[in-house]
Amino acid sequence: MEADLNVLQWSAEVQAALPHVEGYAYPNETHVLWSVLIVIYPYITGLVAGAFIMASLVRVFNVRALAPVYRLALLTALAFLICAPLPLLLHIGHPERCLQVMMTPHLSSPMAMFGFVYAWYMMAVLLLELWLDYRHDFVVWGRTEPGLKGAFYRMLTLGANDISPKALDLDERMSVAVTIIGIPSAFLLHGYVGFIFGSIKANPWWGNVLMPVIFIFSAIVSGIALCVFIYTELSWFRRKDTCDACLDAMGKFLFFALLVDFSVEALDWLHRLYSADESIHVLKQLAAGKLFYTMLIGQLCLGTLIPLGLLGATQLFGAQIPNFVRRRIYYFSALLIMAGVLLMRWNVVIGGQLFSKSLRGFTTFKLELAGQEGWLVGLGLLVLPFLILTLLVRLFLPNEKDQPANTPTIAQLPQLAREGNGADDPAHERPSVAL
Amino acid sequence: MNRFGLPPQILRLVLLTALIVGTYAVARTLLTPATFGQYGHYRGAALEETASRKPLFAGAKACDECHSDVSEKATKGHKLISCESCHSASSAHVRNPDITTVKLTDNSCLRCHSSDPARPARHKQVTTIEHYPGDHCIECHLPHQPNKSP
Repeated sequence: MEADLNVLQWSAEVQAALPHVEGYAYPNETHVLWSVLIVIYPYITGLVAGAFIMASLVRVFNVRALAPVYRLALLTALAFLICAPLPLLLHIGHPERCLQVMMTPHLSSPMAMFGFVYAWYMMAVLLLELWLDYRHDFVVWGRTEPGLKGAFYRMLTLGANDISPKALDLDERMSVAVTIIGIPSAFLLHGYVGFIFGSIKANPWWGNVLMPVIFIFSAIVSGIALCVFIYTELSWFRRKDTCDACLDAMGKFLFFALLVDFSVEALDWLHRLYSADESIHVLKQLAAGKLFYTMLIGQLCLGTLIPLGLLGATQLFGAQIPNFVRRRIYYFSALLIMAGVLLMRWNVVIGGQLFSKSLRGFTTFKLELAGQEGWLVGLGLLVLPFLILTLLVRLFLPNEKDQPANTPTIAQLPQLAREGNGADDPAHERPSVAL
Repeated sequence: MNRFGLPPQILRLVLLTALIVGTYAVARTLLTPATFGQYGHYRGAALEETASRKPLFAGAKACDECHSDVSEKATKGHKLISCESCHSASSAHVRNPDITTVKLTDNSCLRCHSSDPARPARHKQVTTIEHYPGDHCIECHLPHQPNKSP
């Protein structure tokens, strides 16, 4: 009896001292250390990888219908890649120390390896592919644009001004090679993020070999959704009609990528439920309790099942659905999917810290408004890539209205180059690619 | 083609790559501390620098030289706690007795004895809002012999 009273008194004291803790939690688990910045970091890198993989569908897999968004997808990947390390640098609080990680890297340090994977992906893949693709345009714009803008384009040519058909053909072949290298690199960039979580054996929510695979597929899904969103918005801003064939192709890839992503995540849950190791009770409580709104409602229903239904309908009844309805379905589904994948990152990062390793208790996470890891910083980090993309689009994706008539799409360029269109005579140079 | 026999764009890329890798190599040479890697994956000179720091703690034996009467009392109560755990690092006080150690308050006791579920149950703990609120610890407990009253 006395022991029971002691337990009751002890529980009351715990409740008074740690009102945000339910059940039993170890002292170092009461505070969530990886906050919204660590949620945004894998989200942004996933968008980069997804956008790049979508662009590679044009280059490597020759999906001509996606050609209108090829450059937009690459520029999107670049804008988001520039912002990818920012959440980490803000989170550690000493951004200047990232130099030390790069100068004296240790192979066992995931952060050091991230620096090299990031540098490789940025410079050897994305910038290189963009440069090869844009070199012709840089040369032309360098000759035609006046003042500083022209000088800027001339600088970007690095002095390689040969735009003969032979040179452009070489660019094209190198670009395909870079894209082929880029696909495993994109998988490496984002698979690494899943790897970081998946290798934490002490946490049953994270320590899972499927984690890199889940992260990669959700990255592809979010990247394609982002391209649908940006393509639609950019067309709207430029008062242009979207290309329905392109949107249909993106919708098709989005649907199948989402289906695979959903299947892999469902497989993960089925495996957890069937194998029912000692953590399953706390994970079920977590899913049905603390993560009810973000996981079951947000990620599963709004971010996965509704888009699957909508996009599935366009695949089954595409011909009967008017074009303007299909466009809205793609746009709305893309928004839901992007929100759903952000919530998936939230559920992984925050959810993994909400339950105790004792498997007998939970803590609570409350997102602050201001401060280093608050709403405002998170929002700023999500908006910043769009601002950078706006600048990149203004510089490198001129409006079709400003282009000569009969502007070819990117898919036509290799053929044009081989046919000799755009020899050294500036009057017949290959025109810039329009959106 | 040029005198290297490479197409111009490839030559530019090769030069740019060499520039980036070269810059990294130079930066690494300049920014890596001289003794890094001497003993392991850290700065070797850090060991000597740490060892050369003047100790802040004097140690219980130094306290005992002047305050043996208090040390004697403490062995019966807080016998596992070193003097400087509560009175703070005191090597300056040992060198110059005019420099006093920090003044103790109720918080000095509560740092270890406030109720905390993470502490072992055998450890004496109090909930301050219930345990004689408003009174000071030393009104009922002798700090060096906490089981005795003044």
